[in-house]
Amino acid sequence: MIHVSHVSKTYPSQVSALSDVSLEISPGDFTYVAGPSGSGKTTLLRILFGAERPTSGEAVVNGIHITEKGLGTTYPLRRTMGIIFEEPKLLRDRSVGENIALSLEVTGHFGKKMREKVSQVLAEVGLQAREKDSILYLSAGEQQRTAIARALVHDPPLLLADEPTGNLDLRTTEDVLKIIGHLHEKGTTILFATHDMSLIQRYPHRTVYLEAGKIVGNVRT
Amino acid sequence: MSSLYSLLTRSFRNMKENLLANLATICIIAISMLIFSAFSLITLNLTSFLQLWEKKIEVIAYLKKKIPPPEVEGLMRNIRLIRGVDAVKYVSSTEAMAFMESKLGSQKNLLEGIQSDVLPPSFEIRLKQDYRNSTKIKEVVLQLKEFSPIDEVQYGQEWVETFSGLVHIVRLMQWILGGLLTAAMTFIIANTLQMTISSRREEIEVMHLVGARPSFIQIPFYIEGLIQGLLGAALAMVSLQLLYGVFLSHVTLSMAGWLKKFPITFLPHETVAWFLLGGVVLGLFGSFVASLKILKYSG
Repeated sequence: MIHVSHVSKTYPSQVSALSDVSLEISPGDFTYVAGPSGSGKTTLLRILFGAERPTSGEAVVNGIHITEKGLGTTYPLRRTMGIIFEEPKLLRDRSVGENIALSLEVTGHFGKKMREKVSQVLAEVGLQAREKDSILYLSAGEQQRTAIARALVHDPPLLLADEPTGNLDLRTTEDVLKIIGHLHEKGTTILFATHDMSLIQRYPHRTVYLEAGKIVGNVRT
Repeated sequence: MSSLYSLLTRSFRNMKENLLANLATICIIAISMLIFSAFSLITLNLTSFLQLWEKKIEVIAYLKKKIPPPEVEGLMRNIRLIRGVDAVKYVSSTEAMAFMESKLGSQKNLLEGIQSDVLPPSFEIRLKQDYRNSTKIKEVVLQLKEFSPIDEVQYGQEWVETFSGLVHIVRLMQWILGGLLTAAMTFIIANTLQMTISSRREEIEVMHLVGARPSFIQIPFYIEGLIQGLLGAALAMVSLQLLYGVFLSHVTLSMAGWLKKFPITFLPHETVAWFLLGGVVLGLFGSFVASLKILKYSG
């Protein structure tokens, strides 16, 4: 599913974000990438969804090779995954349903099938009653659940989550983690970046520890 | 079909949200194209006026007096051999006097007591079609002047040269202005669309994130540019047609009699179609320039 081989990333300012990182994630795995701020978690995830290119080394995600040459175009890679962030990155001038439908529209899905799929995924995240509501009227937790629904509506085999609970209170964090846990049970591979060690203790899974851009631990539960 | 509907919906939503900027762009395109097309219309009519006038151009070679008829015959044969000469007609002094009398009409008594041999005999020389322009006429005139019995050659030289120069200047201005206006229009279209693109930055980022093809993101902006260009060009053509109508109904009334005979035409349908196509191409080019900015939001 994900194969990271000796990946390093140095930014033009000569800041080294990742140094010789190698990692293997099999289909169906749930893996945390943990570490303090600035440890390289986000850079690793950005490389995996094609927003950054490694300075050296190679990553293979869902069969697509990401090297220092970068990707000619990112859309084939991104269609194989769902991505969620600390900020939900939702469009404020659209409703909940429209935000989720965008993920299907870009792959050429329209009409009744699209609406059915949106309803189905909204039910999965517990937002079926909010489909027509504007994003502006949602709580932070509801916005994050909408972002998860958008990431999953095209049934990707992989979910990349970059601190998705960073802005949420404890109860909402639990709700989001339950949704992600259900997805994992259904077979979706999860790569979850977090600095919250208590979260890992409550929902233990394999954890890769990063510090100053290097892997300093790889604990399997 | 649904995909096309989605693209059009997004294009129109973009235009609606930046309505004022879009309307301003369409108006600026229309004004720029109106100026350019007005020059085209003026050039077209001046050129056809020149062509009409050139069709009537005849060279008149005046002969020295008292040339014996056999020499006239020989001279006519030699003139016919000059390249570009279509027909030659001899006009004797008597025929010239008769022509003058017919022109004077009721005032022909002014010519009473004047002998016909006061007027020199001449050759009226009609030129072939492709020789009826100032450069080619000069070639023929130079050869005519080499015949010693020919005293003077006239063909309305000043008129032809001045008018040709005027047409040339108008045409040159049309293309210089056209070039400047095209650059300005591309800049304006690109700027308006960059405003739209900036205002939709979040949406573009999210679309990249969820796996949209670059074309899926760019096409609505191309459609927007295309619509701006097409509407601007169409507005310019309608305005030009209205101005043309006003010109015909008001200005031509005060024109001199001989000008009234000259038909002032509007741009042919093909030229109007070219202008509309030009607007479309310009709009597409402007939106292409602007869409390069989309790549910045592809992270």
